[in-house]
Amino acid sequence: MFIQQLINGLTLGSVYALIALGYTMVYGILQIINFAHGEIYMIGAYMAIIVLGILTAAGLTAVNLPLSILLVFIISGLFCGMYGLTLERVAYRPLRHAHRLSPLISAIGMSIFLQNYVMLTQGTVDKVFPHIIPSTGMEITGASISYLQIFILAASFILMTALHLFIKKTRLGKAMRATSQDSRMASLVGINVDSVIAVTFVIGSILAATAGVMVAMYYGSVNFFIGYTAGIKAFTAAVLGGIGNIPGAMLGGLLLGLVEGLGASYISSEYKDVFAFLILILVLIFRPTGLLGERVGEKV
Amino acid sequence: MNKEEVSQKSKSILNAQDSRLKYIVCNLKSVFLLLLFTTYCLLSSAFTGCAKKEDTIKIGVAGPMTGDQAKMGTDLKNGVELAVSEWNEKGGALGKKIELLVEDDQHDPKFAVTVANKLSNSGAAGVIGHWNSSASIPASEVYKDRGYIPMITPASTNPQLTERGFENVFRVCGRDDQQGMIAAEFVVKNLKIKKVAIIHDKTTYGQGLANEFKKAMGNAAEIVYYGVVIQGDKDFRAVLTSIKDKRPELIYFGGIYPEAGLLVKQAKELGIKAPFMSGDGTIDKEFIKIAGKENTEGTYLTFSPDPSNIPTAKTFLDKYHAKYGEHGPYSIYAYDAANILLTGISKAGAVDGKKVSEALHNFAYEGALGAIRFDQKGDVLKAPYIVWITKDGEFKEYWKPAE
Repeated sequence: MFIQQLINGLTLGSVYALIALGYTMVYGILQIINFAHGEIYMIGAYMAIIVLGILTAAGLTAVNLPLSILLVFIISGLFCGMYGLTLERVAYRPLRHAHRLSPLISAIGMSIFLQNYVMLTQGTVDKVFPHIIPSTGMEITGASISYLQIFILAASFILMTALHLFIKKTRLGKAMRATSQDSRMASLVGINVDSVIAVTFVIGSILAATAGVMVAMYYGSVNFFIGYTAGIKAFTAAVLGGIGNIPGAMLGGLLLGLVEGLGASYISSEYKDVFAFLILILVLIFRPTGLLGERVGEKV
Repeated sequence: MNKEEVSQKSKSILNAQDSRLKYIVCNLKSVFLLLLFTTYCLLSSAFTGCAKKEDTIKIGVAGPMTGDQAKMGTDLKNGVELAVSEWNEKGGALGKKIELLVEDDQHDPKFAVTVANKLSNSGAAGVIGHWNSSASIPASEVYKDRGYIPMITPASTNPQLTERGFENVFRVCGRDDQQGMIAAEFVVKNLKIKKVAIIHDKTTYGQGLANEFKKAMGNAAEIVYYGVVIQGDKDFRAVLTSIKDKRPELIYFGGIYPEAGLLVKQAKELGIKAPFMSGDGTIDKEFIKIAGKENTEGTYLTFSPDPSNIPTAKTFLDKYHAKYGEHGPYSIYAYDAANILLTGISKAGAVDGKKVSEALHNFAYEGALGAIRFDQKGDVLKAPYIVWITKDGEFKEYWKPAE
């Protein structure tokens, strides 16, 4: 049973980690918490169902399932990337030099707006992801791991490695790091800070969309409210790992998933959500910089 | 402070004074407009509004009209709407047309109380609803305090609802103690199962049903797991993994279909082979849609017999299908509940909560479901629960307890 819970927790944790990356990247550069990030994840999950519905109608899923799943990821990612870009333009860029609380309030406003927008356009009834992905898996010492779980773990790991390499090795990654250290200095040496910030939002949103698509496949049903809890949990994961710190967000996400999975099974399933927020409070009291963070989170 | 700043500051002070003036002027204007508006309203209501009020009998419908259980609310509303339109075609009740007030309680006890107050304020002569026991119980207290407004619920099965001795509370469905008993009898006598896991969703309905089932099982089988899932949650793997470890021969769930569907799906993904059983809260096509057709094969649930097999229900079903399409599990109950309420109002001869409630206790109604008569508590005298099975993506009658 322990192995099974471990795998369940890790799967959940890798989804949290993907969303947490968006929080932490934006915080690293702008020192703001993008509270609308959870909604981008929710829109990603909805897009998965919509795109798959279109592909099924077009007959592609029957012919080539892996290709259609890939298309779902790509289209949903692009779509949410555009949402992220627009979000930054509309809600954050006009407030770039405003008081630090203004973008926070703007973020909460955007979150409420997006939630209600999806509720009004998609309805309040849960949307069901079509049952086209086989729920088969393999047995390892009494624990059954579905191929979907393996896929989620693998895809998250690949994405996180890719992000890490992107930030460490590429020119744009270097520009992002420079901007997060000192945006004024970065602009003086010729970095276009605005476009770096835009790219950060787009990458964060694509990661959130991927998490959304995977959750839609994993749970099988989606509603307009899922972004709220997932967003807060991913935020907790980012704080746990040290907000602004990218490996920290990955570690925080995985740990949070594990604590939730194991806590729900060994202590009480009623208190599943309590564990996440207990961690948030404990971290903020005893180690506000998080597990791997260097920066103190005083700017939140 | 340099010159520019000083001039800006004085400008802003001037501006502030200016805007204060404007504000006062605006206020005067709006006060005047408000006066005009209220006079207009008073006048118009005196001529039309009041007259209209006397003209109709208002019937409330309350249930989850939005949210994940919106399907049930819509079924409820459609059933009542059909009954009311039939009455109106015949000229209404007590010589007045019947008006429907539809309210959404979002299956939330807090909203249910708000909705109950709203319906009482707008002078509802009676209420059909609510759907969820957790909504019906707090709402019934409001209806009682606001002049014994009769409420007939088509679906709330928690025993507590009618056990408190309220004269104005009725239900046309059965009770969870009856339902739990039938489920336990089926599990023990028919399936001959010795180890059972029980889960519920912590709602009044789900927890109540799970406890009634547990009570009815007694010592006939071992309860190897008793746990909770949270309504609205989507990941139940932690609970299911713990259950898998205990190797039960059956999983019993007290709750509604959005969670039931996910439980069945995730249980199959974790390789749990024990059959799944639940109560009347899961009998809806959405359950099969969420869980996936192949995963629901052989799941059991308790519910009343299929209305398609009741001869008296045929006219209702034909009319309902023509107007709204496929009927929901509770459409027929809502229809009968509305008819009973309107008959009660006609028999009482007045729109008076106490009189109507009294009348409702004292007649047998021949409805689409057959004869319905309330006992002193407001429960139906006969509540036949049977066991259904899901086969090929359809709910089918499966087992009847011996008479």
